Amino acid sequence: MLFFFNSNKMFFLFTLFFSTLISISSNSWLGCWIGLEINLLSFIPLISNPHNLLNSEASLKYFLTQSIASINFLFSIILSLFLMKNFFMNNFISILINSSLLMKMGSTPFHFWFPNIMEGLSWLNCFILMTWQKITPMILLSYYFNMNFLMFIMILNVLIGAIGGFNQTSLRKLMAFSSINNLGWMLSALMISENLWMIYFFLYSFLISIMCFLFYMLNIFYINQMFNFNMKFLIKLSIMINFLSLGGLPPFLGFFPKWLIINYLILNKLYIISFFFIFMSLIMLIFYIRIIYSSFMFFSFKFKWFKIYIKNNFFIMINFFSFISLLGMIFSTLFFM
Amino acid sequence: MNKFSLCYISFFFLFFFMLINFFMSIYFIMNQMVMFLEWEIISLNSMNLVMSILLDSISLMFMMFVFLISSSVIMYSKSYMGSELNLNRFIILVLLFVFSMILLIISPNIISIILGWDGLGLVSYCLVIYYQNMKSYNAGMLTVLSNRVGDVMILMVIAWMMNYGSWNYIFYVDFMSNDWSMKIISFMIILAAMTKSAQIPFSSWLPAAMAAPTPVSALVHSSTLVTAGVYLLIRFNNLLMDTLFIKMLMLLSGLTMFMAGICANYEYDLKKIIALSTLSQLGLMMSILSMGYCELAYFHLLTHAMFKALLFMCAGKLIHLMNDNQDIRLMGGLSLYIPLTSLCLNISNLALCGIPFLAGFYSKDLILEVVSMSNLNILVFNLYYISTGLTMFYTIRLLMYLMVNDYNLLSIYNLFEEDYIMLKSMFILLFMSLISGSFLSWMIFSYPYMIYLPFNLKMMVIYVSLLGLLMGNLVSNTNIYSLNKFFLFYKLSSFLTLMWFMPMLSTFGLNYYFLKFGQKLLKNIDMGWSELYSGQGMFKIIKYYSLINYIYQMNNFKIYLYSFVLWMMIYIFMILLM
Repeated sequence: MLFFFNSNKMFFLFTLFFSTLISISSNSWLGCWIGLEINLLSFIPLISNPHNLLNSEASLKYFLTQSIASINFLFSIILSLFLMKNFFMNNFISILINSSLLMKMGSTPFHFWFPNIMEGLSWLNCFILMTWQKITPMILLSYYFNMNFLMFIMILNVLIGAIGGFNQTSLRKLMAFSSINNLGWMLSALMISENLWMIYFFLYSFLISIMCFLFYMLNIFYINQMFNFNMKFLIKLSIMINFLSLGGLPPFLGFFPKWLIINYLILNKLYIISFFFIFMSLIMLIFYIRIIYSSFMFFSFKFKWFKIYIKNNFFIMINFFSFISLLGMIFSTLFFM
Repeated sequence: MNKFSLCYISFFFLFFFMLINFFMSIYFIMNQMVMFLEWEIISLNSMNLVMSILLDSISLMFMMFVFLISSSVIMYSKSYMGSELNLNRFIILVLLFVFSMILLIISPNIISIILGWDGLGLVSYCLVIYYQNMKSYNAGMLTVLSNRVGDVMILMVIAWMMNYGSWNYIFYVDFMSNDWSMKIISFMIILAAMTKSAQIPFSSWLPAAMAAPTPVSALVHSSTLVTAGVYLLIRFNNLLMDTLFIKMLMLLSGLTMFMAGICANYEYDLKKIIALSTLSQLGLMMSILSMGYCELAYFHLLTHAMFKALLFMCAGKLIHLMNDNQDIRLMGGLSLYIPLTSLCLNISNLALCGIPFLAGFYSKDLILEVVSMSNLNILVFNLYYISTGLTMFYTIRLLMYLMVNDYNLLSIYNLFEEDYIMLKSMFILLFMSLISGSFLSWMIFSYPYMIYLPFNLKMMVIYVSLLGLLMGNLVSNTNIYSLNKFFLFYKLSSFLTLMWFMPMLSTFGLNYYFLKFGQKLLKNIDMGWSELYSGQGMFKIIKYYSLINYIYQMNNFKIYLYSFVLWMMIYIFMILLM
């Protein structure tokens, strides 16, 4: 847990958080852009590590993509200022702005950098990239939302996320594709209401945090580590339950935000989108289960001479979180009767 | 510690309940009372789901008999199942059985009836497979699946009765009897009763259920399981009388009576003979019920319960004495060696064939005379009288084999009769099978039946009984060494011995074709088309698309950035052109 006690990194983490707040609370596009830039520049020191080539490569890639997206964002907001008054909506300009923001958050047609960069990060950085780094672009997207364009993007997101993760052996790439899939859900939530998006985003980050911390603790990066890893049964079970919850299997917490979104989509008569969402979440569930199922059933190795005992208080927190993820929806129904 | 075993405790309580029910039934009959308790569990869209309890003279008296028989059976099993390790489990199962029967008796509501009905089926399964061997597993499966047909019928009755808003059938059997859906309900009720009471298409389970321990047989075949169907039809009697199905039931139950009577004459297994005689008596009850005399059916149900329970308990004792042997050819001359048990056995057997002033006489004679009085075709009439003769036939054959013929088991053998726990519990029922006929005939009928018959028709019962006596005496002389003529009429004998091939019908007939069809379905659907189009096929398609996705994913990083910029430039040009 050295991460939290490195004062250098603490500082950049702080600016990372605050840059997001700057951009989502600013009242001009230029302020938003400034926040995005600070965000980019404070995330790069967090991920770069001189001793690891992969990390440096990832930071370079991240810098390139984000700066190109920022340039385009800046260009298109200035263009919109030039071409028309500030509050007019224009299809093409909104597509420009939306595309640059989609590039920033790693949404589908511009998602190619996202799994590549995830591959080079540590799990905690992955967690930040998958959750916190998405807040800014999505909030900005909600200010200038081209619905016709983005509905297409949502379906594409869900499709690519499900199909891309299907043959994946690297867990980080798999989580990246799962994040892309969830991005589709989040965009649809954003289209309906910001509160809905907030619920979805919070619960999604919560579930992702459990997964990332678990993998961080167990040092797992590839699926085959699951098979011959001498985990305790309860940890396996915890991973299993959290994966099911993330995939949105009904009794678990992860189903709750998806349920809300499906409900609102159907209320708004967006049947095709909800059809795609539901079907693709089935595929998501398949590859989530495939990760852990085989290590439960067929490849359940037990080495007698090689045991890993993890003694860490962090696990208590993870257990607590998984408990919430397991029973959260049931309890929440008790609260709001 | 031994004194406070579960057997004695439950004997005490059951006997106490019997007394309560006895006095309450007398009180209810005296004051012409009916008590109806109703607890509404849930009311949904004007459909009331209620647990209701109906206490009238019928249900109270029936409960009294159930409690009496079950109390003596439980005391009996203290000795009969004495060396059983899990005696308590056995007693609890029997108690559950009695409890579900009570639920069935007291409920006038089709939903609360299914509690008892299903409970009877389930617990009877557990009891039939109690001796855990392959034979009893098969018998249990046959029993539970035959009874399951009746459960399904009751469930479908629940579905059909939903239109009426409540499932208290007791209010509808009169009022709605002309309704079209009530006809369907009556059909299903008759089918359900036929499965429980083992009428002809379903009767193969009843001899098979002899795999159960003998106390259970005593309970099942006298007052609980098999009489549930008759009791249900007694409750539904007003509804059934005008329908066509009741005429079919009359024919089928008459045939059951006939078939069981013939089959019992071929049988050498002690318990199976008694089981088949139960089947024949059930046929009698059902057929008199289908003629509209539900009181008579009820009367015969109760008297029959007494002596049949006693008969089974005697048989159990004999099996114990005979080194666990059930073959009647090996028994003989028992009246000399075990006088008390023989006394019980003879009295119950004679009560079964209606010797005057024993229990069976009052009900059976009355039934036959009422049959002679009413308008019937010659077929049903003959079935009644031939079956009565057959009852005498197999009873006398059994008595001759057991009491008179030579003792054929081991040459040095000690018959230990002085098992007073068994004897005491048998004496309770002995007393009842002596007096219950007259006592019930005074209590059930508020005025006597008027019978007016010509002399020969009146003497018809005695004629057929004497004929049966003669035949039984003759047949019992064929001992184990004598040449028998079985193989001379091989096909006919097989037909008659095997209950008209009904066991084959309900085991192989229902198994084989469905299993074969299931195998074909497995090959073609499960392992074939549905695998291709849902499981593996879908997997292949997704994998293929996923590979295509990788090809795009594997490109140079520069290309992504170029393509993004190109995308933006296209839009900028479009804006500029605009």
